[in-house]
Formats: sequence, C-alpha cells, structure tokens
Amino acid sequence: MQRRDFFKKLGVVAAVAATAPTIGFAANAKPVSQNHITIDAAINAITGGKKPQTSSKVTLKVPEIAENGAVVPVTVSVDSPMISSDYVKAIHILTSKNSNARAIDVNLTPANGKAMFATRIKLGGTQDVTALVELSNGDFLTASQSVKVTIGGCG
Amino acid sequence: MKARKSLIKIKPKKFKDGEIVKVSFMVMHPMSTGMTKNKKTKQIIPAKYINSVKFNYNGKEITNMTVWETLSTNPVFTTYMKINGKGKLTVTYTDNTGEVNEKTKKIKPKG
Amino acid sequence: MKAVIKIALCVALFSSLSFAGEQFAMSNADRAMYKEMSENNPADIMVADGEELLSYMGGDAGLAKYLGVSEDNLPAYIAGFPRYIKKFGMVVGLDQVVQAMMHDGGHKPLKLKSGNMFAIVAYIKSIANGEKIDIDVNANPQMKAAYALGKKTYMTKRGGRGLSCNSCHAKEVVGRVLRTQPLPALGGNGVAVAATWPAYRMTKSSLRTLQRRFQGCMKNALLKVIPIGSPEMVALEVYLTQEAKGSEIAIPGLKR
Repeated sequence: MQRRDFFKKLGVVAAVAATAPTIGFAANAKPVSQNHITIDAAINAITGGKKPQTSSKVTLKVPEIAENGAVVPVTVSVDSPMISSDYVKAIHILTSKNSNARAIDVNLTPANGKAMFATRIKLGGTQDVTALVELSNGDFLTASQSVKVTIGGCG
Repeated sequence: MKARKSLIKIKPKKFKDGEIVKVSFMVMHPMSTGMTKNKKTKQIIPAKYINSVKFNYNGKEITNMTVWETLSTNPVFTTYMKINGKGKLTVTYTDNTGEVNEKTKKIKPKG
Repeated sequence: MKAVIKIALCVALFSSLSFAGEQFAMSNADRAMYKEMSENNPADIMVADGEELLSYMGGDAGLAKYLGVSEDNLPAYIAGFPRYIKKFGMVVGLDQVVQAMMHDGGHKPLKLKSGNMFAIVAYIKSIANGEKIDIDVNANPQMKAAYALGKKTYMTKRGGRGLSCNSCHAKEVVGRVLRTQPLPALGGNGVAVAATWPAYRMTKSSLRTLQRRFQGCMKNALLKVIPIGSPEMVALEVYLTQEAKGSEIAIPGLKR
C-alpha cells in the first residue's frame, strides 16, 4: 500500500481533547450563559424587528478553519464615507451557536474616519459568525460566514 | 482602582493631522464566561469579563462599545480614528464585577 | 520503510481511541489572518511587563554587565543562547541566567516555571529581535556534550506508547494530520521553532517558553515530564536551537 494511502485510510481523528476546552463544555450538561440569547432574538432586539439586508458593502473576515476556538480573529469593514450625513452607526458581531450569541456592539462616529472593527472571539464549536451593521439612515446590512472550529492537537 | 496591564497602539507610529490611523487597545483580562470549571477544584469559575469600552479623544467620545463575555481572554479592540490635533486618547473600560479602569495615550501629530 | 511502519503504528494507536472525522488543513488565507493577529499579540503586554521586571535589576545595562558584554553586543550575545557560562560551570538558558542574577543581587529568584519568569525571558530574547540564531554547539566540550545529550533525548523512545520526540516530528511525518492538526517541523526546512519561542499560546491564553511547551507535549504523548532547567531540557533546547540556526528571532511568537 502507498504510504499516502495508508494515512488517508486511517483518516483524521476529531480527537477527544486531552485538556478541557477553554469554553465550558466540560461535563455532560451543556452550560448556559447568564446572558443567554439566540442569534435571531439578538438580531431582532438590535434592529427592532427590521430585516437586515445582505450587502457586499460589508466585508467580514474570519478564518474558514479556526485552529482553536479560544482565539478566533474577526474583522468587519464597511464601505462608508463616515461623514455626519452618511456613516456607520454601529457594527455588531454575533455568533450562531454560542449560548450568548452576542460578541460585541461597537458604536462608531464620523470621528472614526473609517468603518472598521477587529477583535478576537471565542467560538464554542463550528458555527456562523455574523456582522450586523447599522447605518445612520436607519438601514441594517449584514454578512455571515461559517467557521470550522477544530479541537485537537497535542497539548 | 486595580491597575490592569494594557497597551494602546497607533499605526502608523508617526502621523500627520487629518490622517486616519489604526488604533488598538489591548488589555490583560480573563474574560471568564462563567461557564467553565477550574480543572483542579471542579468549581465553576465565576463570570468576569469586560462589558464596556469607551474611546475618548480630546474630550469627545468617539467610540462606545458594549462588550460580551464572547471575546477572547486578553482581548483587543481595533478600529480607526481621524487625527484632529494634539491631545490625549483615553480608553475607559469596565467589567461586570464593577471594576473601572483607564488607559491614556498622548496624541502628537507631526506636520 | 521500517520507520514508516513504526510511525504508522503510533498513528494507529492514537486513532484507535477515536472515530474518523474530517481532514482539516488551514488555507493560506487563514494562515495570513493568524499572522496578522501577531500585530497585536497579547504577549506584547507580557513582554512590556518583563521589561519592567528586568528594570528592577538594572535593565538591559545591568544584564549586559552581568553577562560581561557591552550593551551594544547584548542582542548578538542573546542570539547565541543557550550557552556555556564559565561562572556557572554549566550550559544554561536565559531563564537560569535571570535566576542567578536575581540571587547574586540579593533577591529571591523567580521559579523557572512561573509567568513572571516567562515574561522576563520573553523580554530579554526580544532584545535580540532581528538577530539570527547564532548558537555555537562546538564552542567548548560542554556545548558539544549538551548538543549530543539533546539529540539523544529527542530520539529516545520512552513512556507508555514508546514514543520519542522524533516519532511525531521527524521530517518524514511533518505535515501529516494527527488529532486534527498537521504535525509541525521543529527545525530545518526554514522552520525555526527556537526563533519564535517564547510565544503566546492561544489555547492556553498565556505566554509560554519552549521548555514549558516541551512539557505539555511530553505529557500528552504519555512521556514522563522532564523538569524545566534540567540538563536534558536545556540540552533539548540546545538541540532545537541548533536546528534553527540562522533563523531570524521574532519574539513574542503566536501559536496554537
């Protein structure tokens, strides 16, 4: 058998992590955040029921595969002049499966000059990351991407 | 007031008035979700996370954030700001246990 | 061919504990995103902390004086660690130098395995950022012996599964995916582990040194953990630093 085929056949193992993950899925019961909220409820609360429009003006940058769930880089950029008559009022970052779907709500002003926000978030497992953007004219724009979270490695 | 270790970074380091620069605020904070257990004691680690961050530039609040426990331990907050004269950038942050902290950086545009 | 079968058996042993899953491999775009994260490495704060701690002992100038070099030559001298230091009579890493300096200065030395020590070591090594790793394993009989011991320790099979460092880090198995992560090369081939440690470990949300990482790795491979600062651990660091010779130092690193 070819060496390559041998390894391929064994496949890769989604391992039982040697150490407990940093996000608490330790015991059998799935832990719940004191700020528990689903992404749909969170989006509703933010937009007041208004439906956000998927827009290419919103650039969401997250890795397709996150090496670990504890530190996942997220960057949201919005094409906007950032002047008092036309600017990005807020950038919200949300997650589809974390017990608390909300990550951060960033209220910007024209003094920011450019509409961008970057941070690092925790993901409890493979799920979607969503950027929800509020414009000064009251419109809501959105962009989402799926992130595969691997829990593995040796130590 | 507990002194937390933090850094404010501006990129580029040298900038002119009117330029839009990248500003990052980094702080050492556990950002505990309240959903994890201490491996040794098996006790739940209480939730302790930064819940608000404000950027104030020369007396004006330019960015205001509501932060959740979702952010990674030792979080970073990066955005842009338009340079508008010499002065100070003050970052004020609080956490869910009532801790209030502040970090300041002098803003000195050249030219 | 024999080596391949042995390694294959080790992999079989690991996989026998779990179920088959997807094959994960990060794209270049993803890797670029993580590299960009280094711009705001959380460990930057710890390095600044280390600088402050060192300042209580005379800072860069105090360290240079203690080591018997000029401040100008300090970066290049640091790039040559671990070294045989005559006044200690043994090959030492930067952490052991700090302990000795603290002791000689009348302070209670920090433990080798402590956050503060990792911070000071990271700061000191960052003084040499931009320098190329310049260890000299032939400098004297002690360095030669340390290199030989390091290589031997790296190759020695031990523990419950009869694994050595080489079992998972040999050039032949680099890139193979084990427990969802591709096995990393530790030296040569342009990969310079020793030049990018101490590093911030994302899964631990903390700054760690190379020897501390060895310990985590040993524990997971079911090898008895060797104490930091022991002759074997320093020797392992000597061996891996030699493997990274010529690589540019960039501290703090950022690792999974």
